[in-house]
Amino acid sequence: MARALARHWGALVIFGAAALIPIVVRDAYFLDSLVLILLWGALSAAWNVAGGYAGQVSIGHASFFGIGAYSAALLGARWQQSPWLGMLVGIALSLAAGAAIGYLSNRLKGPYFALSTIAFSQVLLIVASRWRAFTSGSEGIPVPFRPGFATLGLGHVAWVYLALAVAVLYWGVQVWLEHSRFGYRLAGVREDEDAAQALGIPARRLKVIAVTASAALTSVCGTLWAQYVGFVDPFYVFSVDLSVRFALNTIIGGMGTALGPFLGSILITSLETYLRATLSGVKSGFTGIYLIVYGVVLILVVRFVPDGLAGVAGRLRARRARAHA
Amino acid sequence: MSATALLSLERITKRFGGLTAVREVSVEVRAGDLLGIIGPNGAGKTTLFNVIAGYYRADEGRVVFDGHDVTGRPAHAIAGLGLTRTFQIVKPFGNLSVLDNVMIGALTRLASTREARAEAERVIAVCGLGPHAVARARALPLGLRKRLEVARALATRPRLLLLDEVMAGLNPTELGGMIDLVRRLHADGLTLIVIEHIMAAMMRLAQRIVMLHHGEKIAEGTPREIASDRRVIDAYLGEEFVLAEA
Repeated sequence: MARALARHWGALVIFGAAALIPIVVRDAYFLDSLVLILLWGALSAAWNVAGGYAGQVSIGHASFFGIGAYSAALLGARWQQSPWLGMLVGIALSLAAGAAIGYLSNRLKGPYFALSTIAFSQVLLIVASRWRAFTSGSEGIPVPFRPGFATLGLGHVAWVYLALAVAVLYWGVQVWLEHSRFGYRLAGVREDEDAAQALGIPARRLKVIAVTASAALTSVCGTLWAQYVGFVDPFYVFSVDLSVRFALNTIIGGMGTALGPFLGSILITSLETYLRATLSGVKSGFTGIYLIVYGVVLILVVRFVPDGLAGVAGRLRARRARAHA
Repeated sequence: MSATALLSLERITKRFGGLTAVREVSVEVRAGDLLGIIGPNGAGKTTLFNVIAGYYRADEGRVVFDGHDVTGRPAHAIAGLGLTRTFQIVKPFGNLSVLDNVMIGALTRLASTREARAEAERVIAVCGLGPHAVARARALPLGLRKRLEVARALATRPRLLLLDEVMAGLNPTELGGMIDLVRRLHADGLTLIVIEHIMAAMMRLAQRIVMLHHGEKIAEGTPREIASDRRVIDAYLGEEFVLAEA
């Protein structure tokens, strides 16, 4: 227990703070940022399952995000169904799509896998934006606010705790990956597929499982995001920007680490929120400058802390351990 | 095929386009054997390993391991039966520690990570990697990475282990250590096939040696028979070796 605490103190601090903040802070703007930090963190953690732990770097995870968002929005708008049902439908569709992509692009590695995922998200974008009769096309779909937990019409405080629950769950999935037989073997596949196979590991099957699970986890957050924001725009939910964001948060925070995606999300989401608020005002004329700041942060991280923020923590710990030894 | 053969290769042929890398090679390995494979570069030694271990599919012939026809089965399935190999160009899980590398091997037979860790620690000690257990695999020098390659394969508890030039590039001390390790494993009952260029090591280790040349088996016998075989001397060893041995 004490060892678990010592190892996971970072997660305890972050999730503990997130749990306490709504008790003392009632500012809607601040709570809104907190929900987004947690949701982007969870989404990046979902991406990390494929990109960080399995080494299948996807730049098309917006596909699954969009599937989750559209499933709930369409079921709600066209058939007045609960978003929870939409979430389940989204999960089912994303499992199928994730398995298909994982299987079809199994022999592809590195950039080729990434390209195939981009292609898939672009196909979905075209379908969603052109199939007007069903998806309302490029107009998008508004998600009406209907108060109540069953309809996910919640206040800011409730949203914080819902997002927190998902974030902790996804963090737990990653911690499991670091300690389970499946996770160890998956790490072997990521590091060297041929060597993994020589040890009896069915490398391709493990990769498909990881990508499929990652897709389903992403879809859940897509549903939640759509219900939270209240609008589904095909050019946003299927955008490469969004896919890049999941990857970026994780790379900055630390690929293949449980806390990394959340650290990345805290840094990037708060930076973006702050910069958008202060620099992108109509008067200042700095619209979009946060993209430049993004780029600079990414360059700095890749240059100076290639392991990401979580990697820095790990290195400090190792140094301390050496000093003690 | 004799009833006691652990592995039999029956007229294996592997072609790459117009090039026949391995031509109608038949070899039998009984449980407890230590078979050496020698031959000049490009003789087809590693290709033969790749066929046995399921990385290449043989164009003709059969691979029978412990009564199972494993021809064309995927590598992981063959490894699951207890036939595993190391790689000539070592393939460590570079970002993981030595302990984690070997643990992943141990998890092939063990379901619990706790047991796998204990097993990995044991194998690491056997292979003399104890002081490096927490080091990142990619930070190890070549000699230790070769040992890690062996340790990881051993942790899967194979019944037949294929070692692909685990002695190449080692300094004399490391080489002596590796020869001792392979000897000890063999003495403990492990069946091995060893590819090696270092004839001195091969003469000391192997019970039988198969010589490949241009993809064909041109000789098979005890180290002494091989060393005096005219075809082997002409194709591979050269006159100087014979004089030095005599």
